[in-house]
Amino acid sequence: MRPLTLTRLLLRCGILTAILFAVVILALKLGAVQVSLYGLTRDLIQVLLGHSNNISSDYVLIVLNIRLPRILLAIVVGASLSVAGVSFQALLRNPLADPYVLGISTGAAVGSILALIVENQLNLPPEYAGLITPFGAFLGAALTIAAVYILGRRDGQVDSNTLLLGGIITASFLAAIVTFLMSTLAGSNLRGASYWLMGSLSTLPPKSLLYLLAVGFLAAAGAIYTTASDLNLLLAGEKEAMHLGVDVPRVRIVVYLAASILTGLAVSVSGAIGYVGLLVPHVMRLIFGSDHRMLLPASALGGAIALVVADTAARTLVAPSELSVGAVTAMVGAPFFIYLLRRRMA
Amino acid sequence: MQHGFANATRRARIFGLALVLLGALPLRAQSSTPASPAPAPVAMREVVDEFGRTVRVPQIPARIVSLAPSLTETVYALGAQDRLVGDTDYCDFPPDAQKKAKVGGPINPNLEEIAALHPDLVLVTKEINRLDTVRALDTLGIPAYATDARNVDEILSTTQKLADVLGVPENGKSLTSDLQSRLAELHAKLEPFPPSRVLFIVWTEPLISVGKNTFIADALRKADAASIVESTQDWPQMSLEEVVRLRPEYLVFAESHSDAGSRDFEVLANRPGWNILDAVRNHHFAVISDAVNRPAPRIVSAIEDLARQLHPGAFQEAPAPEKPATPAPSNPPAAAPVRMTHNTQPLSLEFACAR
Repeated sequence: MRPLTLTRLLLRCGILTAILFAVVILALKLGAVQVSLYGLTRDLIQVLLGHSNNISSDYVLIVLNIRLPRILLAIVVGASLSVAGVSFQALLRNPLADPYVLGISTGAAVGSILALIVENQLNLPPEYAGLITPFGAFLGAALTIAAVYILGRRDGQVDSNTLLLGGIITASFLAAIVTFLMSTLAGSNLRGASYWLMGSLSTLPPKSLLYLLAVGFLAAAGAIYTTASDLNLLLAGEKEAMHLGVDVPRVRIVVYLAASILTGLAVSVSGAIGYVGLLVPHVMRLIFGSDHRMLLPASALGGAIALVVADTAARTLVAPSELSVGAVTAMVGAPFFIYLLRRRMA
Repeated sequence: MQHGFANATRRARIFGLALVLLGALPLRAQSSTPASPAPAPVAMREVVDEFGRTVRVPQIPARIVSLAPSLTETVYALGAQDRLVGDTDYCDFPPDAQKKAKVGGPINPNLEEIAALHPDLVLVTKEINRLDTVRALDTLGIPAYATDARNVDEILSTTQKLADVLGVPENGKSLTSDLQSRLAELHAKLEPFPPSRVLFIVWTEPLISVGKNTFIADALRKADAASIVESTQDWPQMSLEEVVRLRPEYLVFAESHSDAGSRDFEVLANRPGWNILDAVRNHHFAVISDAVNRPAPRIVSAIEDLARQLHPGAFQEAPAPEKPATPAPSNPPAAAPVRMTHNTQPLSLEFACAR
């Protein structure tokens, strides 16, 4: 493979961005309510020119106020999950690592259910009530990561197989807690939770939350990107990387924290969406190679594309009803993953 | 290493910038557009809904979307169906409700479909809708009025409040006073009879019943039936062991047509262990309309129906209700007005106290 230059990096990211843009336009067009591509383009141009008053209220309400926030949410969540996936895979040197497998998503689910219960007790004003669940999910994700990390240590060293096993066990333990909470607590208030557990982007996020997510993503992904060259060396092994001058403990802490933030933020707004964090990095590695300076931005864009497509399918396949996007990603992701696995073995 | 690092951060910045630009364009656009469609200045007023939220609604809402079957039924019962422009996939009563524009299911309605109908009022209920949906509607500037009826009396008061919100208070008064008098009449008829101990069956596999705090349990009480389930959960899953211990006199099924109820009974009766129950051995089961599952005016008909099946004696023209000609099966014809079952096990005593 030819060496990675800045031009090539930007060119490839540009292509991916263009694809993402096309996918977004398509996602803006498709939905339960029919919108013509011509009308959509005309109105988008009006909006870009600042003449948003000229367009019909239908477009404003449906395309700009319902579809667009949801698509933006899909972009941030997809990118976050995917970047978190790449980071965990590199850090643990294990291609199976992703937020879902490591139990982090389930930990966030437990946190969010507990938050829902607390929220029902507190009787908060509605402006704040909506933020409790994301916060609980984030806390749940962070605590799970800490627990899995401690479980994965052997003789002061992180053993990636132990860590992965620890993650799987933690995930099933937490899943049992979820089931317990759901069946013992007064059911009516948790109706949302069961829906949320399957992974869904259907909850219209408040604008402030969307900004918070975007800022959080940029900060965390940026922090991970500063370690991209170190992650490349880590592929050779922790000892080897250390000999080559990589400050392994520092990289580990930075990437762990940043990837936890990414996962916590994503899960807190969308529930547990599997396969994006696992599959997208693999596909990007197949296309662009395993240089993390390329792989990280490519995975971010690829994850965004994948989730926008999956969510558009979830919105439109059974309209006016909706599938859960987690079901769509699993239905497509699992067979695709097996295909990749077989291909690699062949 | 240093060089690579600097390179990497620069790239990170560029990459971040690209994403920001990508996101900023539409976001700016979004924030600069007004949210509400507001076609013409309409007289608005503020009402407090049953969540305690203050909602601005039109004096006379002209385009109503209902997000629950019970609310759809109530709108029809109040005669406001011409202004109902959309409802959910599950709104099947009255049959005409199926012809309204559909906006998906109550738990996850399609916001686009709702918005496209330009409603000036969306009706939601705590019973099946999600708080997230209400918040999303708030974000979109669509007023949502929420109801929360937890027993039969509240169903009536909710109906009256809804009538006020919809601008048909008179219809509400005549409807609720009619329902009230039917319930009072029923109560008078059933007074002399001790309540039957029933197991209300929501689902057979696994066996799900209703908790004591549900409006269904309250509806059963109004029909002079005592749900044997003491759970505070709304939809408790029951084990056969527990059911045997609680000794129901009747199994109660709620179905859209009675054949399905008989079939459900046969399924349960043929399951190993179930013939231990007196209710199964004696074929004591009642099938009532599934209206009992919806906190809407029609629940009163379901209550009357159940009362007729459990206490046929109360509905006979013959005088002397003290000694009914056909006593409620498996109940001794003890007509003492004391509301206690013949079963003097500690549990039933406890239940009698709980009433």
